[in-house]
Amino acid sequence: MSILNPHYDSGAFFDEMFAGTEAAGTRPHYSRLAERLGRLPEDEFNRRRAAVDSAFLRRGVTFTVYNDTQGTERIFPFDLIPRIIPDHEWRRIEAGLIQRLHALNLFLDDIYHGQKCLKDKIVPAALILGAKHFRREFMNFSVPRGIYVHICGSDLIRDHQGNYLVLEDNLRCPSGASYMIENRAAMRRAFPNLFQSYGVRPVESYGDDLLKAMLHLAPGKDKPNVVLLTPGVFNSAYFEHCFLARQMGIPIVEGRDLVVRDAHVYMRTTAGLVPVDVIYRRIDDDFLDPTVFRGDSMLGVPGLVNAYRAGHVALANSIGTGVADDKVIYAYVPKLIKYYLGEEPLLPNVNTYLASEPLDRKYILENIEKLVVKSANEAGGYGMLIGPHSTKAECESFRAQVAANPRNFIGQDPIQLSRSPTWCDGQLEGRHVDLRPYILYGEKITVTPGGLTRVALRKGSLVVNSSQGGGSKDTWVLKGDE
Amino acid sequence: MSHAPQPAARAQATTMLSRVAHSLYWMSRFIERAENTARLLEVNIQFIDDFENVTATQLDQHWQSLVLSTGDIELFEKHYEVADSRTVTEFLSFDLRNPSSILACVYAARENARMIRDQISAEMWESINELHLFLKSRSTAAVWSDGPNEFFGSIKRASHLFQGLTASTYSRSEGWEFIEFGKFLERADQTTRILDVKYHILLPSATDVGGAVDTAQWQAVLRSASALEAYRRYYVREILPWKAAEFLVFSDSFPRSLHFCVAQVDDYLRRILGESGTRPRTGAARASRRLLGDLQTLTITDVLNQGLHEFLLEVQLALEAIGQEVVETTMFYPAESSLSDQQQQQQQS
Amino acid sequence: MHLRVIHRTTFTYAGQAHDSFNEVRLRPVDDDAQRCHSFKLNLSPAATTREYTDFYGNTVHYFEVPADHRKLVIEAASNVETTPLSARPAIPRVEISDLERSAEREMLAEFYTSSHYVPLDVELWREAQDALAEGRSDVWGDVRRLGEHIYRRFAYRPKSTGVNTRATDVLKLRMGVCQDFAHVHLGLCRSMGIPARYVSGYFFNTTRRPREIEASHAWIEAYVPGYGWAAYDPTHERVADERYVKIATGRDYADIRPVNGTYRGPPTRSLKVVVTVREAPAPVAVATA
Repeated sequence: MSILNPHYDSGAFFDEMFAGTEAAGTRPHYSRLAERLGRLPEDEFNRRRAAVDSAFLRRGVTFTVYNDTQGTERIFPFDLIPRIIPDHEWRRIEAGLIQRLHALNLFLDDIYHGQKCLKDKIVPAALILGAKHFRREFMNFSVPRGIYVHICGSDLIRDHQGNYLVLEDNLRCPSGASYMIENRAAMRRAFPNLFQSYGVRPVESYGDDLLKAMLHLAPGKDKPNVVLLTPGVFNSAYFEHCFLARQMGIPIVEGRDLVVRDAHVYMRTTAGLVPVDVIYRRIDDDFLDPTVFRGDSMLGVPGLVNAYRAGHVALANSIGTGVADDKVIYAYVPKLIKYYLGEEPLLPNVNTYLASEPLDRKYILENIEKLVVKSANEAGGYGMLIGPHSTKAECESFRAQVAANPRNFIGQDPIQLSRSPTWCDGQLEGRHVDLRPYILYGEKITVTPGGLTRVALRKGSLVVNSSQGGGSKDTWVLKGDE
Repeated sequence: MSHAPQPAARAQATTMLSRVAHSLYWMSRFIERAENTARLLEVNIQFIDDFENVTATQLDQHWQSLVLSTGDIELFEKHYEVADSRTVTEFLSFDLRNPSSILACVYAARENARMIRDQISAEMWESINELHLFLKSRSTAAVWSDGPNEFFGSIKRASHLFQGLTASTYSRSEGWEFIEFGKFLERADQTTRILDVKYHILLPSATDVGGAVDTAQWQAVLRSASALEAYRRYYVREILPWKAAEFLVFSDSFPRSLHFCVAQVDDYLRRILGESGTRPRTGAARASRRLLGDLQTLTITDVLNQGLHEFLLEVQLALEAIGQEVVETTMFYPAESSLSDQQQQQQQS
Repeated sequence: MHLRVIHRTTFTYAGQAHDSFNEVRLRPVDDDAQRCHSFKLNLSPAATTREYTDFYGNTVHYFEVPADHRKLVIEAASNVETTPLSARPAIPRVEISDLERSAEREMLAEFYTSSHYVPLDVELWREAQDALAEGRSDVWGDVRRLGEHIYRRFAYRPKSTGVNTRATDVLKLRMGVCQDFAHVHLGLCRSMGIPARYVSGYFFNTTRRPREIEASHAWIEAYVPGYGWAAYDPTHERVADERYVKIATGRDYADIRPVNGTYRGPPTRSLKVVVTVREAPAPVAVATA
């Protein structure tokens, strides 16, 4: 028996694989996959699934869950049905992401220098000056090569018509690139022949591209030393830190491995102090340097911030980028694209209401049951209300929070995330997915052809975060359209 | 298939962080220490079983000396009223208040391994983890009901498994040098302690020398170092105290003898410190060369003339100084030193 | 008025301290009311200093002492010339409603919203309402009345608070030192929608009794449209005049910490701060060719 589900129902949603409600209408770029799955007996499919799962466990492809008293590591559930993006769609996504990152970098440069966009009233000054991640310590500081965001992960979703929309930008320490690469490795093992015939663009060069972007920050150095700075083994993304450090062939260091001498950064090695030129840091601004930011942090490196200020070391991403991925600033990004580039945004935003604006606030408070409400500075699906799926009490609690601290909240129309066929309880069913592509800014801006497709495994759920019951799929960007 | 090539190992990847070297070194030392504590306990428990006609005072002295040789007698007396097989087993096996207990050593080894889990093989990690789980599932009462040999045997096997897995799954990189340096430094130290137990148990009185008890004790000492068979192959004849001591101190082929261990320590230390010249540059290299020279040239008569205990004490101090210097110069990182902030209030009237 | 200021901070540690990284904001600013003719930073153990100008225009010096040391001495010596009040422009009367409509207000948002030491809790708003119970006047008038309120209702009591005490804590304690009074004053002004900032500096106490504490001082500045920042000292209930030397401004103490750093080593240490402010002869003008 084949694993294709003759009763598959794509419902009222945009389905990645099937057009219309009948399983018959397979989209052209999925047709060869459908054909292959049609010939695959269920027990064979299950055998491959089990093999992939055990490989993930063996390789330690895991993440750590907070709020979990077991306190520990899980595999990120992986679904064997890939998400496929044809060339013509990808071109548009790619151009849109490049445009967006370009504008966000110009915005950051402006915020930390002339603040023209505030004076021109494109963005309310109060929003920036009162933002938690606005790093006034770095006002008028010129970052190496003028690049603020070297690594960006933007979350894309598709509405009911299949239009790609930007849901949020991650400009601080976006994670998940390691899963993109591991997922591909798993799929190559599970379906070796399919790749050859399908013309799937490779994602494996991500590590090399990332390293190149880092080396770009140390001009004039003969053999620059690049390191990855991790908070340590207890961090939920520690696996990824090790993975990327290995891919790049660079040391993975903790704060205590680094030391500042005469405003230069060194690492402590068995052969003595070795200079460090570029730090790919996976530590938030607040924890980088206890001398300047948080005196209680043991994760950081005392003196690092001033070594950076003195121009002796480069940080990726730069300090203070969080001011631009704030969920409130998000609402202004289309305007910023027009302002800095004079272009129409290629990838639109989700329709957003700002609780800080009186009219929008009124709308949010009156319609909270119909909206998705997010707090500005929380990540990972925490601090979020999905009105239509929440109890009256939950809505009330958010209503009070929004009224008390409007600056911290936005409302959005609920988006019907597109669905993708996913293996659930022994059959294929539609599950909601999003897409996080990875954008690198080195010599120029490039987008790795692929990304992390996250899938909400619970039926009907829209929350795709790994910490809240999400899984992932391999993402295939095709060289052609079928 | 269009696999992108894996990035080639770059030169800087061979630079070893001090913190990683530190964890490798202590992981290795603690496993070795746990194994040696297990040996000491096992043999001494058996020794008591063999001789039931010892007096209560002798028995007490016997257990006391065992604790004394591990260096923690004050700690023991603080927490236990009497020294007997149960209390000493508890103290040396499971008591986490004793940093040298088997459980404490294995716990410390596991913590060190965990900090560098991505740098060691999965097999190494799993073997330490299993040993830790095994220890946590046992207690002194269970050890005595199931038979101590079974328990201590399991620990020794786990340590051998770990060391074997390390040899067969860990690259011969700089990290390997720290692992081996730690292992042999610890083993050299433990061998001095095993020999010293004999000194503590009974200073050979004229009447006992060569007697049944004395021979049995020296047999126990050799067994503590897994050296009984090797000794017999070497000397064939009956066990003579000075021959046993000579074997454990001077043998250049038995892998637990002091001479053998120090030769290894000297070798790895010179690689770690980059000491390639004929004249050592560092204090640690000088000390280890001097110690090795002594072990190559002295005779057992020289040692007995100086006094075995005094000789062993000197060796212990030299080993400690060597370890400390290597830790400070190559493995230092600010792990424990606390970080404080300093500022001032504005308070003029 | 010409003033000579010596500000010496001495940290003495219970053992060897090392890896000490510090930022100091000790150089008096140059503005319409004062000029800093000379500034020298002496460090023991000696260390290289680097400097930058922060977001608020304050000069920040930073340095590191990596080697072991039992004592760290940071001594700032400056010569400052201040302008008498009579030579400064008068502070105009500006209606509250004009402040709210003023063009600059948007860019001053950070000075009338919550900050680390001054969380705008409702208690601060109540206290301000209480202080202005007779009704609001003009911007500067309100600032002064709020300052007078603090002077009258809060007791100056050294050691009753610490470096981490917030305005809301002081409100409950009803006592504190100048840092605390400045924070409360900021909270009251901001609750009333008046932009206000923290000023760190020195006060030349002409009537100082021998045993009186000499330390660094703190007061506030409020924004008056058409004038700029106007200074008021709630600890002494007066407008800051030529006896005041300004070294830094910011949202609150967190932005202007005169000395801020971390070190490794024994957490136990003692801190001694000695400040002397004396009138000095005018510097001899150097003839320029």
